[in-house]
Amino acid sequence: MTDQISNIAEKREMTINMGPQHPSTHGVLRLELDLDGEVIKNTRPNIGYLHRCFEKYAEEMDDYSKVIPYTDRMDYVSAMNQEHGYVIAVERMLEIEVPERVEYIRVIMAEMQRIASHLLGIGAFGLDLGAFTPFLYCFIEREKILDIFEKTSGARLLYNYYAIGGMIKDVHPDFKKDTNEFVKTFRPKIKELNDLLSGNKIFIKRTANIGVLPEKVALNYGASGPVLRGSGVEWDLRKNDPYSIYDRFDFEIPIGKGEMGTLGDCWDRYIVRVREMEQSLRIIEQALEGMPDEGDVTEGIPKRIRPKEGELYARSETPRGELGYYIISDKSASPFRVKARAPSFVHLGLLPAISKGALIADMVAIVGSIDIVLGEVDR
Amino acid sequence: MLYVFKEGWSTFKSIFTGMGVTIRHFFSPSVTEKYPYEKIELPKGARAKLHVNIDDCIGCNLCARACPVNCIDIETVKATDDVDLGKTSTGNPKRFWLTRFDIDMAKCMYCDLCVHPCPTNCIYMVPEYEYSEVDRSNLVYHFSNLKPEMVAEVKEKAEQEAEQKKRERQEMMRKKAEAAKKKKEEQEKKQAEAKKSSNKNDNDKPSTPGKKDS
Ligand code: SF4
Ligand code: SF4
Repeated sequence: MTDQISNIAEKREMTINMGPQHPSTHGVLRLELDLDGEVIKNTRPNIGYLHRCFEKYAEEMDDYSKVIPYTDRMDYVSAMNQEHGYVIAVERMLEIEVPERVEYIRVIMAEMQRIASHLLGIGAFGLDLGAFTPFLYCFIEREKILDIFEKTSGARLLYNYYAIGGMIKDVHPDFKKDTNEFVKTFRPKIKELNDLLSGNKIFIKRTANIGVLPEKVALNYGASGPVLRGSGVEWDLRKNDPYSIYDRFDFEIPIGKGEMGTLGDCWDRYIVRVREMEQSLRIIEQALEGMPDEGDVTEGIPKRIRPKEGELYARSETPRGELGYYIISDKSASPFRVKARAPSFVHLGLLPAISKGALIADMVAIVGSIDIVLGEVDR
Repeated sequence: MLYVFKEGWSTFKSIFTGMGVTIRHFFSPSVTEKYPYEKIELPKGARAKLHVNIDDCIGCNLCARACPVNCIDIETVKATDDVDLGKTSTGNPKRFWLTRFDIDMAKCMYCDLCVHPCPTNCIYMVPEYEYSEVDRSNLVYHFSNLKPEMVAEVKEKAEQEAEQKKRERQEMMRKKAEAAKKKKEEQEKKQAEAKKSSNKNDNDKPSTPGKKDS
């Protein structure tokens, strides 16, 4: 025992585990930290605690549409976006067009889900740093979105609402009214959030200049979504590689500017999410206006789903970044291979690069700011 | 000195702006539901528990095939010719006894995929969510309304009928086979005769030794 202690004292280095049950690791993530005093020398993320063989399951299913409920469970915080990515991939393989109304419903659902996911991300980020109040306020708003989803699809978290070629069922008759009301009440809440958290001096002190991710490193690691945009790169698949009907809407891509400190720090990544919610509101408003009132959303669902032999990679922008599905078809009814490119997994790989030299207390802020969901990392 | 003062002022200001927000929230109506005492009504179509209206089920097995996790277990026995199971309320004729219709709600992932293919709309989700159990096996819901004796009876009957049908079929097959055999034999005979006659014609030439011997 004394030997060990003297060893540690000599080397002045110590390895400790953070997680897997640490509440602020957003799931079951274990981080091995090599510490010198309080300074982090090295970080080794250990993953796999939530592995559920998504890809293997997808190959086992005897129908392409049976995979959709499993995609929900990848990133359970933004299930609608996960489904969206998968259905557009299969639709491109089948070369089918979906009706106008379906596209509008999909965009509205995806953007609402983006807001809900960012609210959770922001709230949990604040909670990690000791701000309990914004977390609860964010949840009030998120709950409203989930209520709208529940009315329409029947579920609150894992919807299975998108179908290949359409939607499982039509939206609730009150859908337009509810969503309009939500958009109206949510705008002032963003200002409230800014008052409460973004401008808070303590919060800024804990996030500015912490976990700086330079643009070049972000690009080299293949980061995407708010993490990449926080480093000042204007890259959003909704604009740069429009899928669905995103090219019809007018919105901006918020990027980090290093307002409170260095470009690409935790605060920049955070504020990109807040500003993205405003842009999502703009998209929702435009989509609600353009959405056709009539139309059967289930008519386009094909009876038999058998894509031609071949392979395809389709990507979409989820709240966490670029989600890609790489599907190989062998002409049978079940996919030969489904590979998911999960943004959280890539971002987790960034951790060692951006946490070097940080204090151990800041590790929590860094993990919170890249907003990972372990369901997606481990799949 | 000025820096300290400025920093202090901005900290003070930001904290009090935040406080203002919380105070506003403090006086706004509460959103918390005191769950066990207060219950909110789930919207129509909320996915909470599967229910099967067994009277309308025709035993087509489509729901079980649509389920990604195989948690619906259906066993059907074909109804014998002497019973008429009637029709469902949607007018589809019922042809099967449903001897087993179990849904394991512990395995179910509430995806709703089994609900859509049903031709008679008899499997659906009901907004009933308070059904937690200590023992997991209690979460297997049995929807079949046949009593065990009944099940045994129908099974036996169906077996008997199947046996009989099989026998009948065998009989028929045998008859058919016999008929076919007869036909074949006749045909062969005819052929042989035809051959014979043609052979006879050939026989005029004494070159075939076999014929000579006979
Ligand atoms: S809801 Fe989904 S998992 Fe549950 S029984 Fe139906 S198909 Fe199976
Ligand atoms: S799909 Fe409907 S009718 Fe067919 S077995 Fe299932 S519940 Fe019965």
